[in-house]
Amino acid sequence: MPTIVEAINIKKTYMLGKVPVEALRGVNLKVEAGDFISILGPSGSGKSTMLNLIGALDKPTSGTLFIDGVDISKLNDNHLSELRLKIGFVFQFFNLIPRLTAKANVELAMSIANMGKAERSKRAVELLETVGLKERINHKPAELSGGQQQRVAIARALANNPKFLLLDEPTGNVDSKTAHEVMALIHKLNRESGVSIIMVTHDQKLAHEATRTVQMFDGEIHSDLVN
Amino acid sequence: MKTYDVLGYSFSAIKLRKLRAGLTTLGVIIGIMAIVALLSITQGLQATITDQLNQGLSANSLIVVAGGGGTNQNGGGFGGGGIGGGADSSGFSLYVNYTSEIESLSSNITGALAIIQRSGYVESENLNRSVTIYGVDYDAYSHAYGTFSAATGTIPTNPQDNVVVIGSRVSDPSQNGSQFIVPGNGVSLLWLNASVLPPVNETYTAQVSGVLEAIGGFGIGGPSDTGVYIPISKAESFFGTDQCDMIIVTLANSDKDTIANVTKLITDHFGGQVSVISADAVQALLTSVFSTIQLFLGGIAAISLLVAGIGIMNIMIVSLIERTREIGILKALGMKSRTVLAIFLGESVIIGLIGAIVGIIGGWGLANLTASVLGSGFFGGGGGGGSFAITPLLTPEVLLGALGFGVGVSVIFALYPAWRASKLKPVDALRYE
Repeated sequence: MPTIVEAINIKKTYMLGKVPVEALRGVNLKVEAGDFISILGPSGSGKSTMLNLIGALDKPTSGTLFIDGVDISKLNDNHLSELRLKIGFVFQFFNLIPRLTAKANVELAMSIANMGKAERSKRAVELLETVGLKERINHKPAELSGGQQQRVAIARALANNPKFLLLDEPTGNVDSKTAHEVMALIHKLNRESGVSIIMVTHDQKLAHEATRTVQMFDGEIHSDLVN
Repeated sequence: MKTYDVLGYSFSAIKLRKLRAGLTTLGVIIGIMAIVALLSITQGLQATITDQLNQGLSANSLIVVAGGGGTNQNGGGFGGGGIGGGADSSGFSLYVNYTSEIESLSSNITGALAIIQRSGYVESENLNRSVTIYGVDYDAYSHAYGTFSAATGTIPTNPQDNVVVIGSRVSDPSQNGSQFIVPGNGVSLLWLNASVLPPVNETYTAQVSGVLEAIGGFGIGGPSDTGVYIPISKAESFFGTDQCDMIIVTLANSDKDTIANVTKLITDHFGGQVSVISADAVQALLTSVFSTIQLFLGGIAAISLLVAGIGIMNIMIVSLIERTREIGILKALGMKSRTVLAIFLGESVIIGLIGAIVGIIGGWGLANLTASVLGSGFFGGGGGGGSFAITPLLTPEVLLGALGFGVGVSVIFALYPAWRASKLKPVDALRYE
């Protein structure tokens, strides 16, 4: 299986005012295509920093981070943006554009990737059908429940055929029943469509739904276990 | 991201806050409206005045007045004794018999005629109004100005002393067809002779021979709708002088060289104590005056557009702050910084474009409204200065300039907020609450 993410001794130091804060203290991680891994850790463990780096939203202070075979520390702003087209983000707070309908939100991701109108319209409908929102495509986020919004976000994340889905507390903002549905969808995508999943969470139970759990603590990987 | 997608996204952002976008656009509309209205009225006014001057000041005639204020070539023709001044401060005067001297100066001069003019009154059974009384040679005057022709009655070639020709507004002051004085009527002409003490009213009774065609406008030297024309010989005795106010010189052609040569010949002949005015010089002066007026008015209007620009900047900074998280999402989805820049600039282009188009239409409407108000009351009926309707003029330069300026100002003031938006770091923007 090809490697989609490889971190080699990555460190990340933030300046909190004038005080340097070491968020990551030398992390090594390898994720292969088709994996479903969860990065588990309490608040302050460095998992959010890890998420930002794997999502190509930020660069490590030192060390090497390959995403889809590219060392991101060598990329400029423009190339990082291009790389992000290959990553499907799903955020805890959905982060849909409120003024756009479900379909337009999904289409937006494809228009950023320069896809033509007709093609992306067709694909947006298909994706929303996949996540079970066929009847709600013309609804705006405010007219959708939390679970439905998260499913729109998943459809949007899948829009540009990403190398992997990067989930940030995907069920953190929905009720337990909906959380179960969302996780079922994620499992289905991983098992049936072979979509690689990297999920960041502080929820132990949720983390163990993945096939592999990486536990972080104080900016380091504490354990890396197959469930 | 494709251009139409960028513009579509910009438009969706504008649509979301209609009132705010509307008010921002209103600023641009008002600025462009002011510019277009002021410039199109000024340009219309210039065109009207130029047009009317052309009627009153034929291209192949020169006007000689006393006073060495300058020659026509540098636009100083109005200097010195000025138009209509019988004598300049140095005591130099033009006399009726100078016409023959001038005629002999150059073969390019086809004629010269003297004009004596005084303010006075015309009285008939039905009407009593103030007019300007001109003493002219009917024959020469009608050769110099095609507009000196009779609508009713005749203009005799060798008039009796008691003959008078009147302008159309003297006969029909309201220009509605009701003629108070018609050919054949007797009228009393009167002027106040203040050169003797105590001043005395000089008067005589004349017979109206002809009424001129309506001319419109105003002229320097040329026939006027409010003029009363008596033979030059009668004028000399009636006004008690053989000093004339101006001499009209007609030329064989209207070449610039001819005008320059003849002007120099005449000026030199009178030792620099006369001013020679040509249509060219008056137009050059007018153009220069109107350019200054346009620059001034356009400048004032442009300030209001700059204020609108600051409004755009302000509102876009607010919008940028409100949309920080949205920008973070767009960047996380792979949008490039320059596309974020384009989205914000796109919003300003849309605002500028709508503002400019509506502003141009509104400005044009305002100009026409103003012109019709001015035309109906202000200049039209009053003063007896002849009809004076302004037709606003929207030149392609003003149209495109206004469009470009509206969009340009919007974009320039949006540059800073757009640049700030594009520079937002996705990590920080996504964290923004």
